[in-house]
Amino acid sequence: MNTADIARTLRLGFFYMLLNLKTIYRQPAALFFVVAFPIMFLVIFSSLLTFEIGIPEEAGAHVPVVKFSQYFVAGIVAVAVFGTSFNLLGTSLSIQQFDGTLKQLAATPLPKASFFMGLVGTALAYTILQLIIMIILGVVAYGVELPDAEGWLTLIWIILLGVPAGCVLGIAITKIIPSANAAPAVIQAPFIILQFISGVFFTLASLPTWLQWVAGVFPLRWLAQGLRSVFLPDAYKFAEPGMSWQLELAALVLGVWIVAGLGLSILTFKWDRSG
Amino acid sequence: MRSRSLSPMPSVIRISGVTKRYGSVTAVDAVDLEIEAGQVYALLGPNGAGKTTLIEILEGYRQRDAGDVSVLGYDPQRQRGELNRRVGIVLQRSTPMEGLTPREMLSFSARLYDHPMDTDEALELVGLTEHADRRGSKLSGGQKRRLDLATSVIGNPDLIFLDEPTTGFDATARRQAWEVVRGLTERGATVILTTHYLDEAEHLAQRIGLIKDGRIIFEGDIAELRREMATDTRISWQPPIGLDLSDLLDEWKSLRAGPDGRLSLPTQTPTVHLARLIDWARNRGIDELPELQVERPDLEEMYLELVDDSQALESADSK
Repeated sequence: MNTADIARTLRLGFFYMLLNLKTIYRQPAALFFVVAFPIMFLVIFSSLLTFEIGIPEEAGAHVPVVKFSQYFVAGIVAVAVFGTSFNLLGTSLSIQQFDGTLKQLAATPLPKASFFMGLVGTALAYTILQLIIMIILGVVAYGVELPDAEGWLTLIWIILLGVPAGCVLGIAITKIIPSANAAPAVIQAPFIILQFISGVFFTLASLPTWLQWVAGVFPLRWLAQGLRSVFLPDAYKFAEPGMSWQLELAALVLGVWIVAGLGLSILTFKWDRSG
Repeated sequence: MRSRSLSPMPSVIRISGVTKRYGSVTAVDAVDLEIEAGQVYALLGPNGAGKTTLIEILEGYRQRDAGDVSVLGYDPQRQRGELNRRVGIVLQRSTPMEGLTPREMLSFSARLYDHPMDTDEALELVGLTEHADRRGSKLSGGQKRRLDLATSVIGNPDLIFLDEPTTGFDATARRQAWEVVRGLTERGATVILTTHYLDEAEHLAQRIGLIKDGRIIFEGDIAELRREMATDTRISWQPPIGLDLSDLLDEWKSLRAGPDGRLSLPTQTPTVHLARLIDWARNRGIDELPELQVERPDLEEMYLELVDDSQALESADSK
């Protein structure tokens, strides 16, 4: 591959992303469920649950209390990231496998790398849009406090790793979807289960150890924990497993998902299941 | 298209011994084929004859079980990336792309090729200029098909595959689609189309490959096809009910009964067979054979018979 090929691959990936964004933007149903749903959740929970939370003092550390919305915004952002990558991508890819869209695309000289780059780019763009809306809403309406400089940096790399990792899972799950009609249901099931076992709504420590291990295999748990480190005071790490934010481990798990998973799922990806 | 200036015409497609099996069914059976540059070639045959399997092997969608394939000098199985830059493909099913307009779709497609056609030119070519900014979900079936055609030629391909371009169309829409296809061929590309309509092959193709049960059973132009298929004269009549025909059926293995009981005998020696038939009838006290006809069926009838044959076989298989 020479420089011109790489430039072409990147350029076409960008234009494929624009095409995708336009298509999704014009599907009100998809837009509503994936983009508006987490935002609605944020609004409902933050309005209903206005108490403050705290954790026991740990070894003399000062542990401030925080609003519920401060805790909840971390989890719901994780769900939003995972929703646009895993859920939206998995569903739309699966439908396109069955309706012949990808069969037609496979007849064109669009490089496969551009195709997958375009997909990840699409998920990334929608995630950023959601993030902006949720953070503004959280700050303005529910008194969520913005992270410090280090927190912002963590937020950025968590998103940059979390979205592709979710996309890998979305590409992979298309293999077990038997028909286009089944796609939303087959994808919703693991999506909901993962939300409950990944420390999004309930703390990880309250789960049995084996379930923590199961959740630890998938990206959502690490996304959520990383985002808690962004939005919660540092002392709250004592409520996490291992009494740490485990950011290095999060980067490692998400990285493995991207490197190993993306290669494998691209190699075994089915372009045409319409026949 | 640059290669068109060379003479003699080089082959765009050359395949030999191509075979594809699905379980115990042989969908494509040791097919040899050579298609010259600049031609419109029709693979004509009934449903289930193996047309789509064969064309999808040439396009690179399906892996062959045996044989050699060269398309524009590439092996589609191993060099699909290179091949895709120089071919345009219209699949049997239209691409949905509900949310996008023809113009958006075409300007994206144009970016994928090295020397694309202008988007407006492609829209004009297929007659979609006035619907260029309408959403895909609002286009009619015929308009979607024309967009498929435009998408397949936007890259100025040397070779275009059209898999059943007008199936499911009414007569007007088919005529319009034919006009579009002719417009494409005038640009100099080689076109391979599959169809189960004889008149479509006749209107569009310079050369026809008749395919049945995975084999090419005839190849040539439409005049040759007429000569080939219309050799047999047919003697037919309506036998009275209750008449014992067993000895006649024994004697003439090719004698067939239609759904209304009408008997028909294809023959190359109609005078001899007619004399024999009259003898046979007289021996049974029949002086006048009801509704007797001696005719040479035309190509359309012969083709329909061929199609019926294989469909009867198909339904027999599925039982």
